[in-house]
Amino acid sequence: MENRRQIVHILIGLTTIAFLFLFGRGVAIASIFITILLGLIIINQLYLGRRTPVIEWIINNFERKNVHFPGWGSACYATGVLLLCCFLTDINTIAACILIIALGDGLATIIGKMGRISIPYNKNKKIEGSVALFISSLAGYIYVGPLIFPAALVATIVESLPMDIDDNISLPIALIIFFMVV
Amino acid sequence: MDIITQLAFSINNQLLTDISLLINNELIFIGILAIAVLLGERRFPKIMKIISVIVFAVIIGICLKSILIIERPCAELDLVHCPEDPSFPSLHALAAFSLMIAFLNKRSFVLYMFFAIFIAFTRLVLAVHGFTDIAASLAVAMIVYYIVDRIWVRYYGE
Repeated sequence: MENRRQIVHILIGLTTIAFLFLFGRGVAIASIFITILLGLIIINQLYLGRRTPVIEWIINNFERKNVHFPGWGSACYATGVLLLCCFLTDINTIAACILIIALGDGLATIIGKMGRISIPYNKNKKIEGSVALFISSLAGYIYVGPLIFPAALVATIVESLPMDIDDNISLPIALIIFFMVV
Repeated sequence: MDIITQLAFSINNQLLTDISLLINNELIFIGILAIAVLLGERRFPKIMKIISVIVFAVIIGICLKSILIIERPCAELDLVHCPEDPSFPSLHALAAFSLMIAFLNKRSFVLYMFFAIFIAFTRLVLAVHGFTDIAASLAVAMIVYYIVDRIWVRYYGE
């Protein structure tokens, strides 16, 4: 189920990048903003115990167990992407960051699950996953050129840290700081 | 100025403008927020948590404003009511969205959502903020609530 969840995670990220280039940053911000508000209404309905078959199916098939609240993973992902679109102005930089969060983080989880060597300072994560994140993030080269190497390194380090914050939140914050400083 | 802000700013309704100007006053807005908190929540610890979220969100917002220094849309238009501080993100929207998220598990959530959207809309009507400022406020409010909630649960329990 985790692999299926990560494939959806990657596909949504790639669709968002396509959307960004097709309609521009402004439309992307408005769309994600509305999506988050609608998502919050769904989460509120789940809290109140009102479940529709479609939402039930999505939660059962794509949501992690023991999450902060129902739909938490999706809410974090959308919030992270909205944060990137609002704080970064260059569309190529935003695309590179979404690629890192979607493809990099998604593949890191899939490959990390099969990994054997734990990261010394974080026993919950595997070195194979971090390597997968770094290598797959390099696909962002098509958007930002050589700048993707330090960006991928920053993402890999932040993702590997034993923090009590969702990767979909910590990675966008780290990447925003990185690209603003650079 | 983005299209959404242009559209909101082009609405020529005196009542809406007057309400927006009223909300633009910080003291009146704090009063409205206080009433909204007290109407929706009676438990003291939860009230303190909501106030902590709003205060923390506003502090983060002020820090972001002073770091990013983005000019307000109204500065280009030379409007009388235009505040002098930077635009990004909207502190009014940030506080309203933080309040909205605090009621995520309540029946009254939808009311608080409409309240937050209305507050955000009044900022666009006055052109004191662009739509990006409003959207960023929602994202920041989500993150701030998440962080405060984690800290709160760790120290005070569920």
